[in-house]
Amino acid sequence: MKSKKILVLDDDRIVLESCKRVLEAEGFKVFLVSSAREAVELLTTGYFDLMIMDVKMPEHDGMYLLEKIKEKWPLDIWPELPVVVMSGYPTPDTISESLVRGAREFLVKPFTPDELISSTYKALKRSKKHGKSKSISDR
Amino acid sequence: MFYSTRSKLIISFLGVSILVGIISLFVGIQLLYKTVLNEAKTRIRLDLNAAREIYLSHINTIHTALSIATFDGELHSYLDSKQTGKLKQKLRSISQQIGMDFAGIVMENGEILCRTGPDATPGVSQQVQNPVANYVLKHGTAVSGTVILKKEFLIAEGPELAAQARIELLPTPMAAPRMEKEETSGMSLASGIPLYENGELFGVLYGGILLNRNNEIVDTVRETVFQDETFKGRVIGTATIFFKDLRISTNVITPEGERAIGTRVSREVRDRVLIDGKRWTDRAFVVSDWYITAYEPILDIYGQRVGILYVGVLEAKYADVRRNVLSVFIFITFAGMIIAIGLGYIMANKITRPVRQLIQASNEVSRGNLKPDIGPISKNETGVLQKTFSEMLSHLRERDRLQKVESEDKLLLSEKLSSIGRLAAGVAHEINNPLTGVLTFTHMLLRRSDINEEVRSDLKTIAQETGRVRKIVKGLLDFARQTKLDPETTDINWLVESTIALVKNEALVNGLNLEFNPAEELPVHTVDRSQLQSVLLNIMINAFDTTKPGGNVTVTTGLGISASKTEQKGIEIAISDSGYGILPEHLDKLFDPFFTTKDVGNGTGLGLAVSYGIIERHGGTIRVQSKVGKGSTFTIWLPLEGQCEK
Ligand SMILES: Nc1ncnc2c1ncn2[C@@H]1O[C@H](COP(=O)(O)OP(=O)(O)OP(=O)(O)O)[C@@H](O)[C@H]1O
Ligand SMILES: [Mg+2]
Repeated sequence: MKSKKILVLDDDRIVLESCKRVLEAEGFKVFLVSSAREAVELLTTGYFDLMIMDVKMPEHDGMYLLEKIKEKWPLDIWPELPVVVMSGYPTPDTISESLVRGAREFLVKPFTPDELISSTYKALKRSKKHGKSKSISDR
Repeated sequence: MFYSTRSKLIISFLGVSILVGIISLFVGIQLLYKTVLNEAKTRIRLDLNAAREIYLSHINTIHTALSIATFDGELHSYLDSKQTGKLKQKLRSISQQIGMDFAGIVMENGEILCRTGPDATPGVSQQVQNPVANYVLKHGTAVSGTVILKKEFLIAEGPELAAQARIELLPTPMAAPRMEKEETSGMSLASGIPLYENGELFGVLYGGILLNRNNEIVDTVRETVFQDETFKGRVIGTATIFFKDLRISTNVITPEGERAIGTRVSREVRDRVLIDGKRWTDRAFVVSDWYITAYEPILDIYGQRVGILYVGVLEAKYADVRRNVLSVFIFITFAGMIIAIGLGYIMANKITRPVRQLIQASNEVSRGNLKPDIGPISKNETGVLQKTFSEMLSHLRERDRLQKVESEDKLLLSEKLSSIGRLAAGVAHEINNPLTGVLTFTHMLLRRSDINEEVRSDLKTIAQETGRVRKIVKGLLDFARQTKLDPETTDINWLVESTIALVKNEALVNGLNLEFNPAEELPVHTVDRSQLQSVLLNIMINAFDTTKPGGNVTVTTGLGISASKTEQKGIEIAISDSGYGILPEHLDKLFDPFFTTKDVGNGTGLGLAVSYGIIERHGGTIRVQSKVGKGSTFTIWLPLEGQCEK
């Protein structure tokens, strides 16, 4: 089975490294980006099964990116991109806003490998329920 | 305002003093006037007595002189020898000595022996009535007094006497009308002494003075009784002899400067004195001025009221005295009033000054100066007020001081909190990322099988301590977060139940009996679900922490009435435990941030502080009941009428 591609976006290197180590150990293909600009570049050129991102970054607001993904994602070409949102300072506002803007899971930093893994699977599982992802991912 | 008090006081003083002044002035003037008038009347009565004495003394003089003459040997020898010439000479010398106007001797048969006037025809009986001689001959006794002499008698006694007696009646406004144009009779002071020879009455020696136009008596009265006193160039005292109502002898002066002979007395006085025979003492208008007067009737030798004796004092003198006294009186009254006003002013000031100062002081207090000058403490009620005021001030100062300390504390605390908040946000961001790394790599290391037990145990410690850091940071964030409420209509029982579900496992692990007694019917309520849940979690975890295995933690919901607010209805959630309880000295610190009795690392002391804030923002309260050794109950009360801050 082809391993799933996960795009991780965070402005902190150690978070990216941590995610990479944990998720690769789980057999995912992990791509790391440290800015929203890079993320958009990658997302428009390739297909990803999941994106894990921090909502609060200095350069680009994660919320803005979420909005972008939700609005401009060419749904007819790509199935919906499931997103796991991370935050070190989760307020109910950020959590609900993220969820409203399409996030599947909310992950509070700092997290343990187990927490990351379970959130990842949950988010992927939900996306499967839509049934679309399979046909497309099999392509 | 104090000005009005002061002016009210001054006006009152003014009013009282003016009132008293006016009343005393009025009464005083009345009294004064009466006193002066009475005094004047009394004096004038005495003066009238004196005048009468003078009048009578003139009669006496005539009487005495004639009586002495009857014992004169010369006179008797002339009588015996009927030497009329010598007799006449003798009589004339006597008359001259005492100022008689007429004198004579009438024989028992009425024949005139001799007289000072023109000689009568010898041997011819007297044609003319001689009232004095007639009286003596009839009664056989001497007589002296006032006698009215007819014109004929006067002509007989000397035509110049008749001329002197004739007085033309001058028109007088207030007098009673009289038909005649002139008075020809004369009023005289006369005396008649019987002449005896061997016990036999043989004749009468008579003599007298005519009062008409004879001002000797009235002038003597003026001189002796009134001592020629003058007032503003005018003679004060006056005296008059009236024949009937006619002035025949007077020193009352007409406006033309002449003696007012020929004018008459007013009808009023005439009626009272001449007709009723009474005295008159009063103010009266005499000729041209007001006088204080006294009148009394003059009786002739037959007892008939034939004239009036009058004395009068110019009222102007008394009026002047009165005016002087009056002005002194008014002056005193006004001086008194001014003094009263001055005193009033001073007293008003004295009273209002401390009050004014107090008012100023309270103004300053209201402007924030708690040490105003309230002036010297006075020794009366105002002093009490001042003392109370300064006591109040010291209380205020004390309270102010305490408040300052407290608010400084509060300020410090809130500054601390907001800086904690800012710090927390930063820390969360900065720390959570590396923490993620530490957690991740520690756990990844722990997954490896090629590590010995010692390393594994060390790694576990790292993972555990990192978990502790994570917990501290999370607590800090919870506390620092000033989130607004997101109220939703919620079934409280459901919320409690779902919260209990979250901690059921933990209770189980700790060996506790966790029970829930839901109220049967609880109205839905609008709350911020997640925040209320975190409150419940905080309190429940606290209860778990204090309760030993086998103990109970019970959550009960129900309707309740506010303890603090007046009987407001609300929903209560009570969490009871059978734990250690809370020391009384800890009770009031329980909700302070960072207050904890737990070991370092186990508690941040923020749980209840955060919970309290959340419930407060819901308009509710948290009550604590605790008994050391028995356990504690935390009761959350939420008002039913939505008081959520949004
Ligand atoms: N049910 C209870 N019985 C006895 N003591 C209690 C109870 N609830 C709270 N306390 C006392 O109140 C203190 C403060 O509680 P609070 O929840 O604010 O902080 P904490 O539990 O110590 O730390 P944390 O921030 O982890 O909650 C506790 O340390 C404990 O001493
Ligand atoms: Mg606690």
